[in-house]
Amino acid sequence: MNRLDLIVSERELERLCAALTNAGAPGYTVLRHVTGRGHGGTVSEGMEFSGVGANAHVIVFCEAAALGAIRDAVKPLLAYYGGVGFVSDAQLL
Amino acid sequence: MDSTLVLQNLLSPPVLFFGLGLLSVMLRSDLEIPSPLPKLFSLYLLLAIGLKGGLELQHSGLDRLVLLTIGAALAMALLVPITSFLLLRTRFDTYNAAALAAAYGSISAVTFITAETFLGSLAVPFDGFMVAALALMESPAIIIGLLLVRLTAPRGDNPELNWGSLLHEAFLNSSVLVLVGSLLIGVLSAAYSPAGMAKMSPFTDQLFYGALSFFLLDMGIVAGQRLRELRATGGFLIAFALLSPPVHAAVGLLVSLLLHLPQGDALLFMVLCASASYIAVPAAMRMTVPQANPSLYITSSLGLTFPFNIVVGIPLYMAAVQRLIPAA
Repeated sequence: MNRLDLIVSERELERLCAALTNAGAPGYTVLRHVTGRGHGGTVSEGMEFSGVGANAHVIVFCEAAALGAIRDAVKPLLAYYGGVGFVSDAQLL
Repeated sequence: MDSTLVLQNLLSPPVLFFGLGLLSVMLRSDLEIPSPLPKLFSLYLLLAIGLKGGLELQHSGLDRLVLLTIGAALAMALLVPITSFLLLRTRFDTYNAAALAAAYGSISAVTFITAETFLGSLAVPFDGFMVAALALMESPAIIIGLLLVRLTAPRGDNPELNWGSLLHEAFLNSSVLVLVGSLLIGVLSAAYSPAGMAKMSPFTDQLFYGALSFFLLDMGIVAGQRLRELRATGGFLIAFALLSPPVHAAVGLLVSLLLHLPQGDALLFMVLCASASYIAVPAAMRMTVPQANPSLYITSSLGLTFPFNIVVGIPLYMAAVQRLIPAA
């Protein structure tokens, strides 16, 4: 079992979730209003009134066999719009 | 310049609340406005000016001056981003120059509202059709910004463009939709339901000034936070953010003189030319030109140009208007 942690701007969240679904991800958890600091500087909720908004953290748990398709679907989005993704091992409790 | 104009603007509650927001960031206060509220207030302000503009547009009608003014506003929405791009391209790559040009070619509705409030405090009348010019100047710069990228970026760097998504973002983003929708509702309701419009008045008129002050408090906080990132923008962009508004306003004044606009409309036209977008354009650029650095176009438009216009620009432009255009 693998865990994917994806951090993207909230503006691309819908696009990312659609890509995950189309790539066969069994499901995902979304944490909105994620703030902090990244390559582009500070990310805050201050600009939410403009529609730019903060980041979202998307967590996906999937079998290793599904990872390739998800990676192929997500990497172009991260490369074009910005964002980061990490894969780690996970164990069911 | 008449110092009373500056003081009258500087000591008005909306501008003072903006200063309080800025000060709270500098003093590291824990003042924070929950994020859904600024969005609510920004939509409220757009709804209120759209409705009031529609009401006045219904009364004034679409005469030759209205059509010429709206045509001139559209021409400025094309001219400003193109000339800004040519200047900015000397220091920035295509993507950042285009995103900045789009921001400066579009408008700031809150600066426009602040100018309307300033005119109200001076008892200088203005026409409702200027709200139509405001609505029409918001989107073209987004399209121009993207076209500039398509025309000047290296071929391999241009992925296939989804025009449907772009036009949807440019013309149906929440601020444009609420503004244009409220304008049309105002026109229709003023014609067919004057009693309904009268019932809206406590909401759109009496709450307006307080809502603007509260929204500007939040804008002061956001602008103050953005000012911290000024070091990343560089001297050239700081100079552009502070010098381009008076230059664009001067062109706006020239157009106003040619159109024989009265004082109030001339000030609003100058403010439309001088302001930069930090609502519709950043959201659209984030989607269509993600290669551009948002720190540059948001910090310059919100952290520098917006405070400059509402604190110094509006009374400065009004002084020029009063000097060159006789009062009605």
